[in-house]
Amino acid sequence: MTEPFLVAKNIAKRFGALTALSNVDLEIRSGEVLALLGDNGAGKSTFIKILAGAHPPSEGELVIEGKSVAFSSPKDAASSGIATIFQELALSENLSIAENVFLGRELKRSIFGVPFLKRQEMRQRVDGLLKELDAHISDPEAPVGSLSGGQRQAVAICRALNLNAKLVIMDEPTAALAVAETRKVLALTRRLAARGCAVVLISHNISEVFEVADRIVVFRRGRKVAERLAAETNHEEVVSLITGAHPDVRALEKTN
Amino acid sequence: MSAVRQSANGVFSMNGREWSLLVACLLAIVIFSVASPHYATSGNAATVLRNSVELLLTGLGMTLLLAMGGIDVSIGIVMGLAAIAIGRVLGADGNPALALLVGPLVGALLGCVTATVVVLGRVPAIVGTLGLLGVYRTAVFVLLGGQWLSGLPSSLTNVLATTVLGVPVPALVIAIAYLIIWLALRRTPYGLHLLAIGNSEEKARLSGIPVIKTRFMTFLISGFLTGIAATFYVATYRNVEMTIGSTLALDAIAAVILGGTSILGGKCSLIGTVLGVLLLRILQNGLLLIGVPSLWQPVVTGVLIIGVLGFEAVSNRLPLGLIQRARA
Repeated sequence: MTEPFLVAKNIAKRFGALTALSNVDLEIRSGEVLALLGDNGAGKSTFIKILAGAHPPSEGELVIEGKSVAFSSPKDAASSGIATIFQELALSENLSIAENVFLGRELKRSIFGVPFLKRQEMRQRVDGLLKELDAHISDPEAPVGSLSGGQRQAVAICRALNLNAKLVIMDEPTAALAVAETRKVLALTRRLAARGCAVVLISHNISEVFEVADRIVVFRRGRKVAERLAAETNHEEVVSLITGAHPDVRALEKTN
Repeated sequence: MSAVRQSANGVFSMNGREWSLLVACLLAIVIFSVASPHYATSGNAATVLRNSVELLLTGLGMTLLLAMGGIDVSIGIVMGLAAIAIGRVLGADGNPALALLVGPLVGALLGCVTATVVVLGRVPAIVGTLGLLGVYRTAVFVLLGGQWLSGLPSSLTNVLATTVLGVPVPALVIAIAYLIIWLALRRTPYGLHLLAIGNSEEKARLSGIPVIKTRFMTFLISGFLTGIAATFYVATYRNVEMTIGSTLALDAIAAVILGGTSILGGKCSLIGTVLGVLLLRILQNGLLLIGVPSLWQPVVTGVLIIGVLGFEAVSNRLPLGLIQRARA
């Protein structure tokens, strides 16, 4: 088994008297799609916000490629190779695909000290990324505002790849998409993993999760209650883990 | 399609909106020529162009501000303060070199003040600049002591009323300003950042754009351009009156919106602003010549703003949810 990209050790998060997350141990591996499942309020969002650097954990530590890290901002997480694709994509609709992919990190050449954009190079790089992802977007110069929801997800993924992200966190990427679009985004998710990225996927749709995930982690009431290889579990078991009907979860909840 | 997009990237390339503005300008010229015997003269054409200088310079700055989702309603009075500074320097020793420097300098400084209030102080631009407008209005009154600054020496006029290789200095300065701003907007990261901020400041921040620096810079640039405008103002009129610049912000915002720049930010057209300024000045001048008192000029401008924005709102009338989604 390969060395995990990220190890979360005993992570806890408290907001005042409220414990949102406790004792979470988790390993995230490169080339693997890890699905986080759980009811609303189970702690999934809190956990990915800690991974994304948006919240500091109250307890525990994050280890990336063997080194302990402490994020004080999303920028720190990004420079450690973690990219988060939030549900409300942070794309500028009025700018082109290529411009969005490079926004904030443009390629430029200095002429008399003035930074001029290398538009040609940026366009070619984005063209290559789009082809590699098989995203079915022909023109990197098209404005993002003209794209469908699934295509926008593809642009956000391109952006993450272009930042050399080693871990891509996707927060319900298919929540607002039509069926055909959902298919495409799931395929993209698989391709990200095939490229060697670690992918963390949050979803409410269990059949979708079985389609793409290698491993499934279930959160319940702020704790990780189960971890299964997707190949070794089934729909019914996962549902019972989420609802707490599963004997393992009952046993766990009885002990505390 | 790709040919269209290519041409839309050119320095002076025009889209449908901009062509119709050009047609509107020509149409207005034809109508006024028929209506008034004094209209179609070279002297009057020079007057219209002369009257456009300050508005073109400040309009370019206003284009950047609106594209960024900002606005500055105090540019007229900022031009007034810069003009007073220029006038004082001229009146003291008539040295044109010093007078040339002081306008852009005061303009840039006041731009920094605006940026401090609006960007660092996080006061919404419309409110912040309205507040500054009030403060500066009184400052102008106090500085002028209730009188005009008049009879200034002609040394500055002698410098700026000349031509270089047959091109009048104001036209040259405007062309250079246009070119620099066009390059910054379309060829450097600054332009992308500006438009991304105009689209959504929050998303721009999440994308890692230096939002505060970009916004600060833009107010500074607008102030600098207003300072240059003040220099041409003083050189032309050789006096500074109490009401200086009182319609400049209204005119600039009207011209920029006419030109196709979005009042909500995220979209702008520099060539549109130039054509918007020309159309506005052609209308104001033409109406004057056919006997409409100048008192009515702000009415025309105001009606134009409301008309353009109203027309856009109606022509974009989609179900509310669609608009919100498109802007989200």
